[in-house]
Amino acid sequence: MTADLSLTVEAPRAPTLGRPVVRPQEPAVVAQTAPKVVIKDVRFYYNNYEALKGINLALHDKRVTAFIGPSGCGKSTLLRILNRIYELYPGQRATGEVLVDGHNILDAGQDLNLLRAKVGMVFQKPTPFPMSIYDNIAFGIRLYERISPSELDERVEEALRRAALWDEVKDKLRQSGLSLSGGQQQRLCIARAVAVKPEILLLDEPASALDPISTQRIEELIAELKSDYCIVIVTHNMQQAARSSDYTAFMYLGELVEYSETEAIFTHPREKRTEDYITGRFG
Amino acid sequence: MQAADLYARRRTVNGIYLALSMAATATGLAILFLILWTLLRNGIPALGSDLFTETTPPPGSRGGIANAIYGSIVMTAVATLVGTPVGVLTATYLAEFGAGSRIAPVIRFVNDILLSAPSIIIGLFVYELMVLRMGHFSAWAGSVALAIIVVPVVVRTSEDMLRLVPASLREAATALGTPQWKVIVMVIYRAAIQGMLTGVMLAVARIGGETAPLLFTALNNQFWSTNMNGPMANLPFVIFQFAMSPYADWQVLAWGGAMLITIAILLLNILARLLANWSNRSP
Amino acid sequence: MASILTVPSRRLDRQRLQDAAFRGTTQLFALGVLVLLGGIVMALAVGAVPAFRRFGWAFLTSDAWNPVTEQFGGLPAIYGTLVTSLIAMLIGIPLAFGIAVFLTELCPPALRRPIGTLIELLAAIPSIIYGIWGLFVLAPVLQLTVQPMLIDILGDLPVIGALFSGPPLGLGVLTAGIILGFMVLPFIAAVVRDVFSTVPAMLRESAYGIGATTAEVVRHIVLPYTRAGVIGGIMLGLGRALGETMAVTFVIGNAHRIKASLLAPGTTISATLANEFTEAVGTLYTSSLIALGFILFVITFIVLAAAKLMLLRLEQEAAK
Repeated sequence: MTADLSLTVEAPRAPTLGRPVVRPQEPAVVAQTAPKVVIKDVRFYYNNYEALKGINLALHDKRVTAFIGPSGCGKSTLLRILNRIYELYPGQRATGEVLVDGHNILDAGQDLNLLRAKVGMVFQKPTPFPMSIYDNIAFGIRLYERISPSELDERVEEALRRAALWDEVKDKLRQSGLSLSGGQQQRLCIARAVAVKPEILLLDEPASALDPISTQRIEELIAELKSDYCIVIVTHNMQQAARSSDYTAFMYLGELVEYSETEAIFTHPREKRTEDYITGRFG
Repeated sequence: MQAADLYARRRTVNGIYLALSMAATATGLAILFLILWTLLRNGIPALGSDLFTETTPPPGSRGGIANAIYGSIVMTAVATLVGTPVGVLTATYLAEFGAGSRIAPVIRFVNDILLSAPSIIIGLFVYELMVLRMGHFSAWAGSVALAIIVVPVVVRTSEDMLRLVPASLREAATALGTPQWKVIVMVIYRAAIQGMLTGVMLAVARIGGETAPLLFTALNNQFWSTNMNGPMANLPFVIFQFAMSPYADWQVLAWGGAMLITIAILLLNILARLLANWSNRSP
Repeated sequence: MASILTVPSRRLDRQRLQDAAFRGTTQLFALGVLVLLGGIVMALAVGAVPAFRRFGWAFLTSDAWNPVTEQFGGLPAIYGTLVTSLIAMLIGIPLAFGIAVFLTELCPPALRRPIGTLIELLAAIPSIIYGIWGLFVLAPVLQLTVQPMLIDILGDLPVIGALFSGPPLGLGVLTAGIILGFMVLPFIAAVVRDVFSTVPAMLRESAYGIGATTAEVVRHIVLPYTRAGVIGGIMLGLGRALGETMAVTFVIGNAHRIKASLLAPGTTISATLANEFTEAVGTLYTSSLIALGFILFVITFIVLAAAKLMLLRLEQEAAK
């Protein structure tokens, strides 16, 4: 029941300083700056049902954090708090604080559109807009910026390149986004999300609806995007979490059971429940 | 012995019912073909350039129904142009904003009642509202009466179509930071447009043949008139008047008009159906 | 650390305003639907006041209709409306059921869409077309063949005979009822068919699986399951039949009389309105006509509201 609070608000602690984060291709992390996002005692209610019970967590910039856990544990619910998308549905509410760069986004005065411009989201099912590929990307950019058509072209190309989609669609930008394959559509959604230059990227099981090859490409994409964003990914695929993330949070029945560097969680988890889940005893 | 008798009786009963249901279907189809046959047989003799170029004549002379065709087209167009936005906006309220509201179900209920309300009552209402007030019959009043019939049809079909737009699309647009009205107008409407268009076509087909609402509003005009502020000829009224009359040449014109109206309406229905099927087929 | 998240902006205020304006506009139009209904009821009620004040409840029971002496009673019209609708239901419901059963249980899948579409086209034909078809085709046929037959076979029977007495005119209450039945049948068929298709395939299959015949499946499984929806569909059809104008006006004969015989001419509320409203002179005449309209609206409102409630109940059960 004890959540690992070592990576929350205050100064970085022992587990991270001095101990290299083991990801073979990367240089060791030496020092951590203050976390990008601090989740403080957050509870979430569907009407009167308490779905999240006091979550405390910190997310770091330029890193990938994975939320794992069995179905219904609340990982997607927690993710959706970070851009307050739940506000679309009456009867759903969150209490507590979520500090992004020190500013509480759960505050009643927080402008939601601005928040969502800074916190991008990609959903499980690819959801291209019923428009051309070009317009899909341009849509978000046009919302907040007044730029010339040539600059817009550049931004669209940039976003599509970042999503590793440019080469496949550069000759058919005017075609409908719906004409792409599933994997391409999902990369289009990723391009759409990064086009507006967010600071945080939320990925809700982004590859679960895709075939294995597309899944692999998405994972490669995440590895590249990491260098610019604070990424949070919800996945029910443990191997994916182990491969792609730097930190992992294991959740169960609305609680944060354990939170640590990915390598630590998967090689020597502290909690029994974590170990049971990772070894496939349930879930 | 008895079991076999029972079974035989059941089979006979079944056979009778099935035969009856086939007979019923045959009857329904027979009525359709009989009506179409009658229309074609009596209407084709009326065909000729005169039908479309000459105005309604006094009994005993040659003429056509050009003024009636014009009046019907104009009033149908105005009614559609007025009724469709009203219907779409109402449907938008019901589908997008009405979730927690207590008045939305009431509006939906009332709308469905208006959908099936006797159209002659609508005519009476507009008579009281406009014709009495203005002191004269007018094509405006006729258009308003038709618009009142268009609105519930468009509300019903548009709301159904808007509801079919997947929640994930709405969330994806919102997650980009799009203000709500843009989510609706630029994404959701676009996703539902084909279905809504089908609904509008069905509404047009419905009012194209309506007589009763025009009886006390636009009345009729035996001369060519483009004045919306006065009585205007229309096909249903002309058919009514000419068919009930004892004059053979009037009756011929009535059949011609009847055939034209029916063909136009059936074509619209078929087109609407094709559009609906085509939009269902796209990915 | 100050963050972009806290930067206020005129653009955001403008967005908020636009959102509120959009929402407000849709709400306004939506409320307009309620206002419309209220307006209709009020306009009719107000217009009917002079007649009701003059005749009181007698308006509903008197069968006088004399524009010269200004004596008006709504009974013939109300009677005609109810009787023609009843006949329409008697004809339309069995036929509609037959079609719905055929389409859902018997029809080969390839033909299902075309035949279904044809039936729906039947529903799309405007009522005035039914009217002239009735006048020029059905009425003469009835006059020459069916009505004499009815008079011969049934005219001498004790009670029913009175229904089929009098000369075969072709026009009249019976003809109007038949045309109305044809008009309403595709509508009911469409609703019943939609309702029949909400029956879960598994339920139907398990019934067939124990060896039930199609008729038995429909009677014992499909109908009970969809009862609320079927009744709702029937009542929707009734609501339509009650308010129909043009199909009836051509063939009913337009006589403000109540006769026992179905072969006699009569009138309905909507036919009366269609025929007489534009020529009515005098406040009392006009007001009496509007009063008839008001009564019609009340009747159809009740029927349609009841239908809607039944259909809502079916939806709730299907959702379970």
